[in-house]
Amino acid sequence: MSEPSIFFFEVNERQGVFHRRAFLLGGLTGVGLLALGGRLAQLQLVEAQRYQKLSAGNQFNYRLVPPPRGLILDRNGVSLASNRPNFRLMINKDKGLDAEAVLDDLTKLVPIDGTRRARVLRDLERAPRKAPVVVMEDLSWEEFSRVNIRAPELPNVTADMGEVRVYPFGGAFAHVIGYVAKVSDRDLEAAKKDPTQDQELLHHPGFRIGKQGVEKAFDIELRGRTGATKTEVDAQGRVVRLDPAGDIPPTAGKAVRLTLDADIQNRALEVMGDESGAIVVMDCRTGDLLCMVSAPSFDANRFVRGLSGPEYKALAEYERKPLLDKAMTGVFPPGSTFKPTVSLAALAAGINPEVRIFCGGSWYYGGRTWRCYKPGGHGSQNMHDAIKNSCDIYFYQTSLKVGPTAIANAARAMGFGQIFDIGIPGQKKGLVPDPEWKKRAFKKNPANQIWFPGETPSYGIGQGALTVNALQLAVMTARLANAKKALNPRLVKSVGDVEQPSGADVPDLPFSPEHLAYVRGGMAAVANDVTGTAYRNSQLGLGDIQMAGKTGTAQVRSYDKGVSRKSDDVRWRLKDHNLFVAFAPYDDPRYAVSVIIEHGGMGGATAGAPRAREVMRVALLKDPEIRARIERPAPLPEAPVEDIMEGAAPEDPVEEAPPPEPGPPPPGTPTGGL
Amino acid sequence: MTLSGGLSRPGERDRPTIKFMEIDWTFCLVLCLIAGSGALMLFSIAGASWEPWAARHLLRFGVYFIIMVALAMCDLRWWFMAAYPVYGIGLLLLIAVEVVGDVSLGAQRWLSIGGFRFQPSEVMKIGLVLALARYYHGLSSDSARMSWRLLIPATMIALPVLLVAHQPDLGTAVLITATGLSIVVLAGLSWRIIIAGVVAVMVAIPPFVMFVLHDYQRNRVLTFMNPESDPSGNGYHILQSKIALGSGGLLGKGFGLGSQSQLNFLPEKQTDFIFATLAEEFGFVGCFTVLFLYGAVIFMALRIASISHSHFGRLAAGGTISTFALYVLINGGMVMGMAPVVGVPMPMLSYGGTVMLTVMIGFGLIQAVRVHRYTEVTSGKGSWM
Repeated sequence: MSEPSIFFFEVNERQGVFHRRAFLLGGLTGVGLLALGGRLAQLQLVEAQRYQKLSAGNQFNYRLVPPPRGLILDRNGVSLASNRPNFRLMINKDKGLDAEAVLDDLTKLVPIDGTRRARVLRDLERAPRKAPVVVMEDLSWEEFSRVNIRAPELPNVTADMGEVRVYPFGGAFAHVIGYVAKVSDRDLEAAKKDPTQDQELLHHPGFRIGKQGVEKAFDIELRGRTGATKTEVDAQGRVVRLDPAGDIPPTAGKAVRLTLDADIQNRALEVMGDESGAIVVMDCRTGDLLCMVSAPSFDANRFVRGLSGPEYKALAEYERKPLLDKAMTGVFPPGSTFKPTVSLAALAAGINPEVRIFCGGSWYYGGRTWRCYKPGGHGSQNMHDAIKNSCDIYFYQTSLKVGPTAIANAARAMGFGQIFDIGIPGQKKGLVPDPEWKKRAFKKNPANQIWFPGETPSYGIGQGALTVNALQLAVMTARLANAKKALNPRLVKSVGDVEQPSGADVPDLPFSPEHLAYVRGGMAAVANDVTGTAYRNSQLGLGDIQMAGKTGTAQVRSYDKGVSRKSDDVRWRLKDHNLFVAFAPYDDPRYAVSVIIEHGGMGGATAGAPRAREVMRVALLKDPEIRARIERPAPLPEAPVEDIMEGAAPEDPVEEAPPPEPGPPPPGTPTGGL
Repeated sequence: MTLSGGLSRPGERDRPTIKFMEIDWTFCLVLCLIAGSGALMLFSIAGASWEPWAARHLLRFGVYFIIMVALAMCDLRWWFMAAYPVYGIGLLLLIAVEVVGDVSLGAQRWLSIGGFRFQPSEVMKIGLVLALARYYHGLSSDSARMSWRLLIPATMIALPVLLVAHQPDLGTAVLITATGLSIVVLAGLSWRIIIAGVVAVMVAIPPFVMFVLHDYQRNRVLTFMNPESDPSGNGYHILQSKIALGSGGLLGKGFGLGSQSQLNFLPEKQTDFIFATLAEEFGFVGCFTVLFLYGAVIFMALRIASISHSHFGRLAAGGTISTFALYVLINGGMVMGMAPVVGVPMPMLSYGGTVMLTVMIGFGLIQAVRVHRYTEVTSGKGSWM
């Protein structure tokens, strides 16, 4: 034990080697520790800010809060499109998500059937990572709270409250306002190039994009600005703490206020019944559109949730085409409602309205017989009578005197053949034919490029190539009634409290006031002369507030070979279109209305006029000035006259068009005889 | 130290009170500081709670501290005699783990004896140091430099390393190899062999990584090269650890306020990555302090090794502290994104009993070397015991 077996020098040598080597290893360790210290300095002192950002990015999560979509209001502030709360259930697609197991768990809490399950699995497959996929919408409060209570056990499941678009009037505004729907791949593609759009918002599962009408045209304004809630999350993505101080509140979308009136619009859809067609009401002084309805309509709320295949098919295949906006997109021949325009062209061309033309029921011209709709004929007609009776023979001959170019010019001046900037897409401009158009349209067939003389008489009664839409008919009527301005229609009153330009801020019509007054006199007779074509169905029953109008029938087939125009037993698709335009009150026009009843049968008086009358009544009764005039026929102070008026009004309608006394008649309005 | 001058009478240094006084209490204080820091961090990441880690950490440290003191009093000659048997037992246990070991996380590392689970590789960490120290104790410096006799320590290292690597536990295998080699180098291996060895290892690493390693091991190494390539997969540990470190800044986020560790972004926050937690909450200042404490432990231990009069003591203390230093450097490098993720904890700071026990036994050995620095240890030449 005590004897060293290794000699002293050996011991010394080994000790020396150890000391040198230990010094070396110690040095190496020191270098290693210094390297760690240097690395620490690099990470914690030099790059600290970068890592602090990353750490905050880990710790805090900004959850996107979609902004409430802007309201769409009518002219009185009635909400036409608003938002309602919607409890949603979503699965976040995250790494290691066992979708089947999560769905199994959820099925115990909420009803999830096989098809829904399959859809969710498919959506999860397609969704980008971390994107939430909607499992169910519109959960009941019980279901919502049941899921929320168990949320901690279901790490990838979130149940939150979103908002969903609701259209309280259902179908009444479906064509004008349109609807919102899920963002499609095409929408995403289109928005990708637009840096102003919030891509994250577009990908949010609750977000809906405007697809039609006002919702589409003002989509960006209605969207608003996205907000965010700041939450502290752990590594599993569970929310640990909310940080309300760090929240960014969303900014609601701008409200879009329309010129439409919910009452008038609703009444208009109501009176359409199951007919197909359109009603447009326009303010004759401002150009504001009070009603623009297309029937039959559809419930826009269904489109927000997404239509099923069969539902969509049923809508798309119905022959009365509920999805088509007949007020703007549907174009029809105007028929006799075009006659006031032809009259204006004739008057402007210097034709004397008092020169009479004899109507014997038929007239021979250009190698064929042109018939009046009235087999026996109207007898001797001046222009006033011809408008009142809607005599075809008079307008055949007058149109020949005036010529197609002058008629086309007058038609364009009255608003036909053009698209109005009312803020929403989808208008068809129809066609106002003239010789120039024929040259353009028949380039491939030079033989047809000339204007045949036989086309003009058809033109004179609103048939042939001429097509118009209901909006243009209303504009024409309103311009005629305004008697001065070439009014433009306006649909959008204001966007986010910014007033849109008025439709009355326009140049005057190129017709003399006398000529306009003459034509209006003829239209007054249509509605108020007992022999007028629409007398029976144009009585408003509002005392001395009277309507002036013009009937129209647009043929959809030829009646040349003596086919009866009676259409009761004809198939719907072959019936004539039934049109009616009117304005009221006649002596101080406020509102113009146009009605198109697709395949409504012959004679604008039968289907169009009563509907125009009903809608007009609502419009008039909502107008406080008109209301006052009905209740107290000012400005007559004498009691006896008042008594007589009140007693007489219901049963004894005024015979001649101009009402005798009330209100100051507009300048230039003739007061008798025509 | 003042006592030592007067302790010249034979047998006086064998008195327990003297031995007790001879223990390096400064060294022990530093150990307590490190273990205390560990407990502090464990308290913090449990959400300011002693459960489940901090209390047990301190309790273990207390028990192991007593074991350390007891071992420090053990005569160095006992250690010397125990060297080969411990190594032999370690080897047998490693063979046993091959045959009947528990499979945990895809590797056979654990052995249960009477309900007590432990890793035989930990026994081997002590056993190899003792055995090599004992072997070199009886070797001349010429032989230690370069001779056929070096095949014996080479075999002594290779046997446990191969067994551990086969489990497979690459981290421990590397650690055991490095421990063994550090003793071989400290004992005076020829520089030519050292340089040749380093060059050979450099050349061998790429093919070794590509062809010999298991897939998960290879992925760890490759991810280490470029952690950002897969931030949520294999690179997650490194990236989150770097974020925790970097976001700590100069002074840290404050006690209990480390978002990376508190919100579980940091994996293994209580064991292998506790240094990142410390870095996040106490910043550069805190980290530097702890690194300084580790440096102090290592240099104090190296000094103890240097003043030992026996070659066995020198090499045993030197080898033990090399292991400890390797732990610190590998874990530090791993946490800071400078080394691949291998399961090496930060000794004394990380939660986990086995490694702490091994380290504290090692410190017991170091203290024993200090206490018995004047003890003449029997030559091993010609005899096994």
